[in-house]
Amino acid sequence: MIILQALVNGIVSGTLLAVPAIGFTAMFAVLRFPNFSVSGVATLGAFAGYLAYGAGLQMAGSLAIAFAVAGVAGLAFDKVAHLPLIKQGALPAAIASIATGLILENVVRLGFGNEPRGYDRPIARDVFLGEIRVSPQQLETMGLALLLMLLVFAALAFTRIGKAMRASADNPELAALKGIRPERIATLASFVGMGLVGVGGMLLGLDSSIDPLTGTRILLSLFAAAVLGGLGSVPGAVLGAFLIGMAEELSVLVVGSQYRAAIGFIAILAVLTLRPRGLLGERAY
Amino acid sequence: MTKIRIGRRAALAGGVAALANPAVVRAQGSGGTANPIKLATLTPLTGAGGPYGPVMAKAAASVVEEVNKAGGVLGRRIVLVSEDDQTNPEAAVRAARKLIDVDKVSAIMGTWASSVTTAVAPLCWESKTFLCTVSGADSITLLPHQGFLIRTQPNSRLQVTRVGEFILSLGAKKAFTMIPQTPFTQSTFDTLNQVLPKGGCTHQSLIYDDKKTTYRTEVDQALRTSPDVILANGYTPDTVVLLKDLYRAGFKGKILGFAYSINQKLVDQVGQPEVVEGVYTFAPSPAEGSGAYEKVKAATGSANPDPYTCQVYDHASLVLMAMASAKAATGEAIKENIRKATVSGGKVVDNAVDGIKEIMAGGKVDYAGASGPCDFDEKGDILDCKFRYDQIKAGKFTLVKIA
Repeated sequence: MIILQALVNGIVSGTLLAVPAIGFTAMFAVLRFPNFSVSGVATLGAFAGYLAYGAGLQMAGSLAIAFAVAGVAGLAFDKVAHLPLIKQGALPAAIASIATGLILENVVRLGFGNEPRGYDRPIARDVFLGEIRVSPQQLETMGLALLLMLLVFAALAFTRIGKAMRASADNPELAALKGIRPERIATLASFVGMGLVGVGGMLLGLDSSIDPLTGTRILLSLFAAAVLGGLGSVPGAVLGAFLIGMAEELSVLVVGSQYRAAIGFIAILAVLTLRPRGLLGERAY
Repeated sequence: MTKIRIGRRAALAGGVAALANPAVVRAQGSGGTANPIKLATLTPLTGAGGPYGPVMAKAAASVVEEVNKAGGVLGRRIVLVSEDDQTNPEAAVRAARKLIDVDKVSAIMGTWASSVTTAVAPLCWESKTFLCTVSGADSITLLPHQGFLIRTQPNSRLQVTRVGEFILSLGAKKAFTMIPQTPFTQSTFDTLNQVLPKGGCTHQSLIYDDKKTTYRTEVDQALRTSPDVILANGYTPDTVVLLKDLYRAGFKGKILGFAYSINQKLVDQVGQPEVVEGVYTFAPSPAEGSGAYEKVKAATGSANPDPYTCQVYDHASLVLMAMASAKAATGEAIKENIRKATVSGGKVVDNAVDGIKEIMAGGKVDYAGASGPCDFDEKGDILDCKFRYDQIKAGKFTLVKIA
């Protein structure tokens, strides 16, 4: 029963991890570099949502603010710092993104200090489904995350811009020949990807607390989820997030929680060694 | 021929010096201003310890002022030099060099950050300057300080022993510790595994990753053992998550934590009083109500002087009484006599003036300090101190006891 409970806990945390993982992998699909500034952007999103929620906005409105602020900040950093370096290769851009992530983290620190803050949400006792314990709030947060994921999938599958994004990710030259403007797609990918990362930061903070290191704490798990599913694959990121979430919770029972970080590293190592394209392959949608 | 002439001159100079020397000594003895005893505080006036350092220096200055008013020590006036360690080991080393080489102080008091104390301690023992610190890291008293160091802050072993005793006093039969990986994690387990079984309480523990955003599975692990007391021994951010998850899981037992982690900020952040209702906190405490504590209150103008300020007050008092016992004012003399200020069975005093008077009259003293009894083991650690226990009631910290 304890294993089943750990799996349920893992599914909950995996769902929350999936949202920023989708953002991260979608950006990789279009821009072709791993944007590690997601750590800072997730923190920024969490704080933007915190301010909006504290100012009296409802949950949906606060999530929209988190999305917008994170999207704009992420896009600005991409335009100013990351994309100019992409011509030199993915590595310089990735390294620059580590720096911009640190800058964002410290900007938040400068504005809000190091103290953790919590969203002013009521904390409810768990409910039991049989012998499995679930938190009503976490179910609500999970529902919001699932809704967002559905929206992203629907947008990619059915809208013109979503199809253009997929085409550009699949073959930028061919997409350009068909009249799709790669700069517009890159801008969109940056904005939406980072927006999702910001929303992810807020969702993760809803049930715990937020501080300048909120994003840094999830960076490894997020990256591992994207690599495990296949960098550039949106469904892969979701699958990877669930697997990493469950593996992290199960590891508490087996090796202890202090080795949680090892799960992410082992997943990355195993994928790069055995199946470098990831579970669902690089370009799978 | 030349050799003989120099020899005679040298002999003459030596003779004059020999004649002049007692006169200098007499001048010191009579006026006490020509060659004062120099002591130093090296506290953090800026940096992370900035809120504490200035008041600490003020407390030491008040002791020196009182003793000077009463005629000084050994007939000599005391001069206190205060330097800023900037809560930074490099700055602290520069300041300590100046205090030791230029000011030639006998003792340095009040180093606050463990990193600062660790950096400054070798300079002190090499120059035979006595060092009194308020830093808590266990490693400090394990340095090869040759006896030139004492600390008034309880080390983590003493703190956890008291925690274990408090858990037993709550009637616990099954205790569970949840703690992140820290330098004191293993010593916490070891200490509790020794203390709790003696009171008929079993102890289990779990190390968690303080970067996780949820501890649901960890809480499940803990609750499987049906604990009646959980020691939440993390830092504020992870303890917020842990307390929320314990509440969600419906844990009905008692919860304890350190006051540096479970503080008003944590309560504000959780935002829902019932989540933290009944949680106990503990922290090293000054000896509130003692005569020395009242003197610190008066000297600093604070109704609740912090433990560090009280400890520095005790540093200055102990050092001056040690000098009186030694009839000398060197670091070596302080080292040999610091424990003579707290002799069991001696006259209980709560300030340096009374202590020095008693010692000079040939008596023994047992100093009852503002921070506690100030008895030290051979490593320089205090053997005991007071702890403050609070409980959160309706979102407010209420005092349970100081013991």
